Amino acid sequence: MKKSSKIKNIIFLMTLVLLVELVLSLFVGKYPLSFEGLLAGEEQAMRVFMTLRLPRTCMAVLAGFGLGVAGMVYQTVFRNPLASPDIIGVSSGASAGAAFAILFLTGSAFAVMGSAFLGSMIAVALVLALTSIAPEKGNASIVLAGIAIHSLAQTILMVLKLSADPEKELASIEYWIMGSLNGITLDKLPVPVVLSVLCMIALFLLHRQVLLLSVEESEAALLGGSVEKMRLCILLLATLVVAATVSVTGIISFVGLLAPHCARLLTKDNRIHSLWLSGLLGGSILCMADILARSVVASELPVSVFTSLLGAPFLIWLLLRRRDENV
Amino acid sequence: MSEKPIFSAEHISAGYGRKAVIHDISFSLEPCTLTALIGANGSGKTTLMKCIANQLSHGGKSILLGECLEDMSVKELARKVSYIPQKSGIKISLPVLDVVMMGFNPVMKLMQRPSREQENRAKAALATIGLGGYENIDYLTLSEGQKQLVFLARTLIEDTSLLLLDEPDSALDLQNRYQIMKHLKEMVAEREQAGLLCLHDPILALRFCEQLILLKDGCCVGVLHPAEDSLEKMEVALQEIYGDISLIECTGKNGMRHLTVLWEG
Repeated sequence: MKKSSKIKNIIFLMTLVLLVELVLSLFVGKYPLSFEGLLAGEEQAMRVFMTLRLPRTCMAVLAGFGLGVAGMVYQTVFRNPLASPDIIGVSSGASAGAAFAILFLTGSAFAVMGSAFLGSMIAVALVLALTSIAPEKGNASIVLAGIAIHSLAQTILMVLKLSADPEKELASIEYWIMGSLNGITLDKLPVPVVLSVLCMIALFLLHRQVLLLSVEESEAALLGGSVEKMRLCILLLATLVVAATVSVTGIISFVGLLAPHCARLLTKDNRIHSLWLSGLLGGSILCMADILARSVVASELPVSVFTSLLGAPFLIWLLLRRRDENV
Repeated sequence: MSEKPIFSAEHISAGYGRKAVIHDISFSLEPCTLTALIGANGSGKTTLMKCIANQLSHGGKSILLGECLEDMSVKELARKVSYIPQKSGIKISLPVLDVVMMGFNPVMKLMQRPSREQENRAKAALATIGLGGYENIDYLTLSEGQKQLVFLARTLIEDTSLLLLDEPDSALDLQNRYQIMKHLKEMVAEREQAGLLCLHDPILALRFCEQLILLKDGCCVGVLHPAEDSLEKMEVALQEIYGDISLIECTGKNGMRHLTVLWEG
């Protein structure tokens, strides 16, 4: 009884933090916006708010939430605390896809986005296809196929980088890989947002099955779980969430790995509220990181700099705090 | 041997790759009884168990209440057969109650959540096996004995007719071993289930099981019924598996007859 109310408090607190960050994020940036100005209906201010600030903030929260949720799902399904979207090649596939678009397609924002999404889905499709023709279809095969495809995608990326014009193209590739929420506009949002929200809803609804997948395979099967089919379905959903966000933002490191661990250290279990908390934490880390990325120095910094800078100390604090409690 | 069997295995054989591991094994189980599969390591106990649970492709048929297990879907099978693994396959922190409620999965829809009524049934099951008050404890922090008890609670809420246990005694200390066997015996008697166990300990099998199936190199080398068979017959049969042993009858403090096995090798 006491524990569950404590967890409710933590979730309430984290929601509050996220809301504060959301408001902060709307009003921090190069173009000064004020609440009064927006209410008065200043045209310029409204335009900045609607086409830049609002989409960017929404994307930051949603991307962080999605990475947190997907990360938790990956870690549970693979029973591996180090599992992250990269374990089945999502991010490296996306990077290769983005680089391809920068070099050979128009290089427009939409081309890069589409190509990155395609790249990540191809990588994951290959991993799952390889697993399905392998004689052993367990987790180990998925991870091994993931490593193979991941390194293959890295190689393709390397070749693409080598053939890139170092002045412009290489810089954009590097910048894309470092991830940024800069340049997110309203028109880029609908597809990825709808896709990742739908997939996340499905993941929450299927959470009981996610937990069942964390159980050893023959045991799960005799609890009535269709392990192989369900694993495919859940991995695909989690991957779609990641691919949809990463194709818009570029690679955002650490959030998908860190948020689930923070959530578990707080709740000490893997029930559905931990999945919520993981999403909330991911959202707030990324939102805060984005605020810092655009306000610390005059030019924009890659958001991944700050996700690690914010997340790592938080994780360390949680680790140490837990040890205290156990004494 | 009065009642009609509820389960029968007919000519089960299986192997890994080209190597045959079990050859043409047939037996039947009666309701309210426990049957032990005994045999040395590598004699095919676990393989046979996997075949019956339909986790391994095999020849032959397993028939439960007139239905062929091989033809059932994963969900149907899970509704009729419950399985307790040798060691728990749960590696992530979950409250004990949630682990027990996994047993409702076969009767639930994909996205359904457990109802209040199901939650109460799970709590009652935990109380039955003596783990009342453990509902919110992290499963991973339990001892191996308690983990096995949680699995027993999980099978209690599943309304199955066949119970499969893969070496339930392997990780347990003496007291827990007898405790779990006692619970099991009560469970199958009350619910008219048939229980099939892989056991390493012949003493445990002789004490609690109505029937012993002896496996050696993948073949069934004998079937014993401790309540009916003579000491000599059982001794000879057990020697086939364990080598130079003697089977001894003795009387406990409370006057109960016990069988024990001495290894004389």
